[in-house]
Amino acid sequence: MTAITSSNAAATDWRVRCQQWLSEVIDQPASVRGVAVLRIVLGPSVIWHLRPFLADALNGTTYHDHFQQPWWSWYPNAPAGLYMALLWIGVAAAVLMTVGWWSRTAAWAAFAVVAYNLFLSQTHFHHNRAFLVILLAGVALCDNGRALSLDALRRPPSDDRGLVWPMWLLRFEAAAVYFASGFSKLIDPDWVGGRVLHDRAVRYQNDVRDALGDTLADPILDVLTTRAFHWVLSPAAVATELFIAFGLWFRRTRLAAVWVAVAFHVGIEVSAHVQVFSVIAIGALALWAVPSTRDRTLVTPSRWVRWLDWMARFDITVAPGASWSMVDRDGTVLEGREARQFVRTRLPATFLFSRFWRFR
Amino acid sequence: MATAADAVSQAAAKPRPLWRRRGARWFAAAVVVAQLALVANGYRDPHNYFAFQPFNESSTYAVELVRVLDDGQQVPVPNGRWEGYDWNELIDWGPLRSPWHQRHAFSGVDAMLDFLDNALDWVAGNTPADTETRYWEATVTYYRNARGPYVTVIRSHERDLGDP
Repeated sequence: MTAITSSNAAATDWRVRCQQWLSEVIDQPASVRGVAVLRIVLGPSVIWHLRPFLADALNGTTYHDHFQQPWWSWYPNAPAGLYMALLWIGVAAAVLMTVGWWSRTAAWAAFAVVAYNLFLSQTHFHHNRAFLVILLAGVALCDNGRALSLDALRRPPSDDRGLVWPMWLLRFEAAAVYFASGFSKLIDPDWVGGRVLHDRAVRYQNDVRDALGDTLADPILDVLTTRAFHWVLSPAAVATELFIAFGLWFRRTRLAAVWVAVAFHVGIEVSAHVQVFSVIAIGALALWAVPSTRDRTLVTPSRWVRWLDWMARFDITVAPGASWSMVDRDGTVLEGREARQFVRTRLPATFLFSRFWRFR
Repeated sequence: MATAADAVSQAAAKPRPLWRRRGARWFAAAVVVAQLALVANGYRDPHNYFAFQPFNESSTYAVELVRVLDDGQQVPVPNGRWEGYDWNELIDWGPLRSPWHQRHAFSGVDAMLDFLDNALDWVAGNTPADTETRYWEATVTYYRNARGPYVTVIRSHERDLGDP
């Protein structure tokens, strides 16, 4: 009887906590600054993505003029002139997104153009473009112009808080991308056993040689084309993706997961052509910042902190001649070198080179 | 005295209508379910659309392309050129460019075969000046993750050449 009662109580407690969490996620406003940072990154990415389509259109070639594989027979096909106009609208929307003028409308417009273009033909599909569409939708759903925008300069909002359930959805999507990629490789013996990466390395070794020259390429290729190297590299790559997918969710592992993710994407960008994927995936890491701003107080003699605190982690007082002093969210006080090191772990520009593991 | 910022803040603090809160929950739940379904579908769909399985294979393929005429004669298509047409110009898509050379199978062999199948149909349907070809045939030799070779044959739909 006691066991049943306590199990019922635990279930009720769990349900209540779930409802509280849901209510917090869906209904409570929080800082949209992370989404605003992503919006700024997505603007140039949309232009980069649309550029080849626009270049073709300017040369008189559109998707009408070559092989296409429609997704659905009912999907409307824009005539060439209208298609070109849509691409220009997408570019204009991307510029507005970046500067944050009519931020939300611009995000919706960019989403509409990129999604329309993606669904014109299955040959337009790439995973990075699908991810771009998803990120644009999430940013458009959020009131992203409340921070880091001309909108916020023209009509200053009372604070940078808005509903952040789209941000939580984007977090889920970003984690799903890492998980889906890592898990599919984990259960594929050819992948996790190194066969796939080894074969690619062997096949593309001439590209490495062309890029680096024989002297530099020889020792690198000696390693890269060795089968045994891929017995280690492939499981490590899979583990990396899965670690990012789960590590981002927990406060104790989040900074490490972000660090690993940046290194991972830089590595992919160097070794493969993945269009806008690396840039937007790194931009999406801003979504994982705790959605509250200026909730740590910092006294510093350096002006540069203010310029580098893009995520507004600190309420900063610049006092020339003063020593560093920082009060964390939980009231912990750090002084001098400790405070300076902590600050470095929370600034995007210095984070990669900071001792982030000391201050999780 | 209440300021404009206070008024905005109070308006923001006012609870949203229940239907909007419920709508957001249902929408979020639908997105999560749809994404999980697409990820699961990726193990069935050769293209794994929205299932995020990049670099899934290191497979290669090469195609021997022929035109099959009305009398059954097979005519090779050297460098993809025939009757004033050019395969690369017609297709103009990287993964299917010059498939008579060994190429990387974009998104895997199964996805590539599906694209090639559709490309043959598209070429058959968009080359009106070619009045000889009844259908297209592609003999595809592929290596799946360096295993093989495997060979398969794909044909376009038959074209209506009209009365002789």
